[in-house]
Amino acid sequence: MRRLLPILLLTAVLPVSAGAADPVAVSVLVPITGFLALEGTAQRNGAVLALDNPPAGVTVTYQIADTATSPEVAVTALQRALEREKPVAIAAPIFGTQMLAMAPIANRAGVPLITVSGTAKLTELGHDVVFRFFPTDAVVKVAQARYAVQELKLSKPAILYQTTSYGQSGHEHLVRALGELGVKPVLEEAIDPGIKDLVPALERARAAGADSLLLQLHSGPTALTVRQAHGIGLGLPIVAGSAMHQPTTAALVEAAQLKGVCAETASSPMSDPRPDVATFADAYRKRFNAEPDAFALGQYDGMRMVLAAVADGARTPQAVKAWLASYRHDGLAMSYVSDGTGNMAHDAVIVCYDGSGRGPIIMKRYDAVDGVK
Amino acid sequence: MIEAAAQLAVNAVALGAVYALVALGFVLVIGAVGAVNFAHGELVMLGGMVAVGVASLLPADLPVPGLLVLPAVLAVMAVAGLFVAGVAYAPLRRAPPTSVFIATIALGLIIQHGVTAGIGPEPRLGPPMIDSGTWHFAGIGLARQQLATIATAVALIVGVHILLQRTRFGRRLRAAAQDSEMARAIGIRVNVTVAVSFALAAALAGAAGLLLSNQYLVTPTDGAMLMLKAYVATVIGGWGRIWGAALGAFAIAVFETLVAAWTSYLVAEALLYVGVLAVLAFRPKGLFGEVEGRRA
Amino acid sequence: MTRFDRRDGVYLAAAALGIGGVVIAGDAYALRIASLVGIYAIAAIGYQLVFGRLGLLSLAQGAFFGLGAYASALLTVSAGLPVPVGLAAAVVVPALAAAVIALPIARLESHYVALATLGLAQLALLAATNLEFTGGANGIYGVPPIVTNSITIGPLDVGSVTIAALVVPGGWVTLISVWFGVLAALLVARAVTRGDRSAVLATLDNAPHAAAALGLNGTTARLVLFAVAGGLGGLAGGLQAHGLGVVSPAVVGFEVMVTILAIAVIGGRGSPVGAVLGAALLIPLPEVFRFLEGSYLIAYGVVLLAAIILMPRGLDGWLRDWFPRRAPAVPAPRQSTSKRPGKPLVVQGLVKRFGGLTAVDGVSFSVPAGTVVGLIGANGSGKTTTLNLISGLERPDAGQIRLGGEPLFERPAHHRRELGLARSFQHPEFPTGLFVLEVAAVAAKDRAVAMAALGRVGLADRATSLVSALGAAELRRLDLARALAAEPGALILDEPAAGLTAEERAALAVLLRDLATAGLAVLVVDHGMDFLLPLSDRIVCLEAGKVIASGPPETVRQNPAVIAAYLGSGAAA
Repeated sequence: MRRLLPILLLTAVLPVSAGAADPVAVSVLVPITGFLALEGTAQRNGAVLALDNPPAGVTVTYQIADTATSPEVAVTALQRALEREKPVAIAAPIFGTQMLAMAPIANRAGVPLITVSGTAKLTELGHDVVFRFFPTDAVVKVAQARYAVQELKLSKPAILYQTTSYGQSGHEHLVRALGELGVKPVLEEAIDPGIKDLVPALERARAAGADSLLLQLHSGPTALTVRQAHGIGLGLPIVAGSAMHQPTTAALVEAAQLKGVCAETASSPMSDPRPDVATFADAYRKRFNAEPDAFALGQYDGMRMVLAAVADGARTPQAVKAWLASYRHDGLAMSYVSDGTGNMAHDAVIVCYDGSGRGPIIMKRYDAVDGVK
Repeated sequence: MIEAAAQLAVNAVALGAVYALVALGFVLVIGAVGAVNFAHGELVMLGGMVAVGVASLLPADLPVPGLLVLPAVLAVMAVAGLFVAGVAYAPLRRAPPTSVFIATIALGLIIQHGVTAGIGPEPRLGPPMIDSGTWHFAGIGLARQQLATIATAVALIVGVHILLQRTRFGRRLRAAAQDSEMARAIGIRVNVTVAVSFALAAALAGAAGLLLSNQYLVTPTDGAMLMLKAYVATVIGGWGRIWGAALGAFAIAVFETLVAAWTSYLVAEALLYVGVLAVLAFRPKGLFGEVEGRRA
Repeated sequence: MTRFDRRDGVYLAAAALGIGGVVIAGDAYALRIASLVGIYAIAAIGYQLVFGRLGLLSLAQGAFFGLGAYASALLTVSAGLPVPVGLAAAVVVPALAAAVIALPIARLESHYVALATLGLAQLALLAATNLEFTGGANGIYGVPPIVTNSITIGPLDVGSVTIAALVVPGGWVTLISVWFGVLAALLVARAVTRGDRSAVLATLDNAPHAAAALGLNGTTARLVLFAVAGGLGGLAGGLQAHGLGVVSPAVVGFEVMVTILAIAVIGGRGSPVGAVLGAALLIPLPEVFRFLEGSYLIAYGVVLLAAIILMPRGLDGWLRDWFPRRAPAVPAPRQSTSKRPGKPLVVQGLVKRFGGLTAVDGVSFSVPAGTVVGLIGANGSGKTTTLNLISGLERPDAGQIRLGGEPLFERPAHHRRELGLARSFQHPEFPTGLFVLEVAAVAAKDRAVAMAALGRVGLADRATSLVSALGAAELRRLDLARALAAEPGALILDEPAAGLTAEERAALAVLLRDLATAGLAVLVVDHGMDFLLPLSDRIVCLEAGKVIASGPPETVRQNPAVIAAYLGSGAAA
């Protein structure tokens, strides 16, 4: 009831004239160029799939704009959207740095940002506009650490992480999660995304006496690491970050080289046996001629929840924001509910490859890692 | 331990050989027109993408797919080089070199975003030069792929050397590069040598792209990073010096592999630039000096 | 310099158009784009000084931008200081950093400047991305805006009339602050390049050898321009930080540098106002193509390519074609009052080796004040090298050069002008885009003296022509005028008669004779014996770097060694 109260108050003051057929606007601001174009395109596709198939009685218009690689471009795109499109919600970039710049502006305008960014800090700023439909690093890194330590019994991991927002935030939480399990990494190597040869890092891990590799790298470098570790016969188990579960990553690695590689993610739409996820995956393949990943599914679920809010009568940004903060939504990947700060996803899964193909198998689910159910 | 060191050394040579191909193409254009082709990194990336595309047309399970793809990549990229010359250089022949710089930046944007928009942002895997496997030599296992990469790159570099030094055409090319007025006066068609330089540069970039695409994947955003490396290699080696550029490329590869393995990537990168600054403090004309009489 | 130019009218019209556009659009998005244009304009105005005026391809302007952004963000966020303090630091810190690197960088040749500054920029990026206090890849967030909300001015009571309160929204305050910054940047850029400084900088950049021989010292100019450029880059970065609310390594990234470079070139290299135009064209351009979604940057690239092909010298250069710069006012010619006495030039045992080759091998001769000495010899006999050693463009391996008794050895080239030495060149270099009078005045005490020098060489009527309009023979005379305008005590000339007609040669001979009569020591290298022999008091003949004969023209002319080595049998007849 406490959660419902703001909604009731808001709906009370809203003008009743808004007919169900009046279109609402949504903006899609994601990085479709630059080094996060892969993830941003998945976001875009997920959002488009949801927005093109709104629930009955809802008409929605949307515009897509690139946020490229810098906060500057993202803020410009946001201000354009806020001024010229008057959206009720915005699909917002996976890139944490851009989100940190956008959140205060969206907060002033009161427009919710729907994202799959893992950067934990986003929901720690005291804004109430960021809604994250992908578990934060504080959740998925716990799953990654627990799986490595508790299931695989590894005690001397080497961490390879990217010198980007994604890599550094993940690294910080991974070290913390390992520390809570009493494990200290034997090597923490920062890797620029432009690095081509990962053998030096692998040799350093070997020299440090590592018994496993924990990765927090983007798609290409993750694939390179798996390939080169196989190439030099490193023979250490790999528990990778969410980039590994992306079908594009696995496509770059021979099936045999994937044997024994695991990764954390929120979901694995390409190999999830649940029928509605399979339906989503088929629709995605048909529409975009690509395999869906968890970022696409998270963004899809997020936009579906926005549309559900609109269908339920929330026709202003404030109303949508309040709705998202108040209700539970059963998405395809999981059930989403806010923890009070906009973290909607609380479950993580560990997927592994058995070497027979490039489709991952869901090995273990970690539900309600942060204690929110 | 020895095996690891040998492996790293081979990696350094393989990476250095490919970077040398990149730098070689870059420096050829500098020599020919005295201007920087800022789209060179994008041409390397484009070459990798062309390799991926051509390889997908070939039947699977060929023994040497990369070698079969190579001529096609060279040919396609040579045409691309002519296009670069025609669009970003020819209209600006008489303009200051910085105009060519900006024109090639624009062309680089067009290539990068054209590829992203055309085939998507995913990293891609190019064809291997030969089937994978390991050769054992004196108790050390060396990846055949790396050795084939080195062999191909070295063959191309030697080929360019012979073309420039031992053929009539090479002499004309060098003469035109050194003094285009004089070359014109003695009947060399400078437009032709310029066009060929661009074509050759792009073909080498394409070959480098092919070699990188299997070992290190190819992503549409790779261009800027490769451009930076070619630029640094060229300047370390002495502006306009072909062999200096190749040596500069090897120096960068050594930092990225051996030095990185001893220290870390971050320390190695910092050391590379600190080293460059130290070299310039003591040798203001680069490690190997500059070719006299050339300005860009 | 301060007079109104028709081109300024175009700029004002463009400014009015821009302001009108922003006011009509009026929303936060339009304000943001207009602010961004201003921010990049400030950085690019600074860059024009180093890249356009000093001619140094510095790739560190993006790093100064980033340094300013981080300085301001750290002070306001981490130390909690007010925004104006942060912005002041954004100017001062990069300016100091730029001043520190200016001299070592300026010592380097063109592409090594690029590499060294690129190396520094990469180190800055590495530090920003990986250090703790810079916040790593996420950077620093929560940077306060210049003003948080709107500002209310008034209401004002003027006598009995009450003017209603004016509420200025925060976006407008930011915009106005930024464009005040642009105005300040333009004024600073004008101040450091005003008057003849512009011509001096152009000579240093486009005609480095002439600049050295004319005694132009680039050290101070480089220090000042680098520091100003760094400070402006930093100011832009600071404004960016407060406008965005976050600072991340993206501000130090290469893309910022490339944007600034593109603005500078598209705007017109070296032109501060061009930088504003370039920013106004390039910054909003991607927004225009937003409707193309993922392909908008392709369109941006196509327009950028078309722009540089259509306007290879940039917007400012293109406007110049339509609205040429006004010629400078021509002052009445005036011979200097402080007439410098002629100074004897004495060369003793001069040696210069290039690798294994000894180009100058123990050369000694003297040029007494009031005389003309001719230096002859076959091509490659060491004549030009000797002149280069005297004027300081090359350093001798041994020997001594004295001017008026003062040793010149170890003195840098640009000190020799003060001692009274001037020279002309075989292939003279000139700065581009300047008027003849401006070029001649570059080493002169003032323009009246330069005018007098132009008169002496017969170029007085071309004073207001552009240098590019001069023919080859006129350019040689301008080179001589430029040297004479420095009021030297000794003058050395490298093949001054080459390519001149018979009448021109005769006039030149009369001029040189007059100069000697006035007391100057004149040393002339030339191949034209019919020109040189009647003119000279003495002739010195070089062969393979050694003096093989010297003495009065008639004696040298009949010297068998000279005939064998140089003149040939026909000349003796």
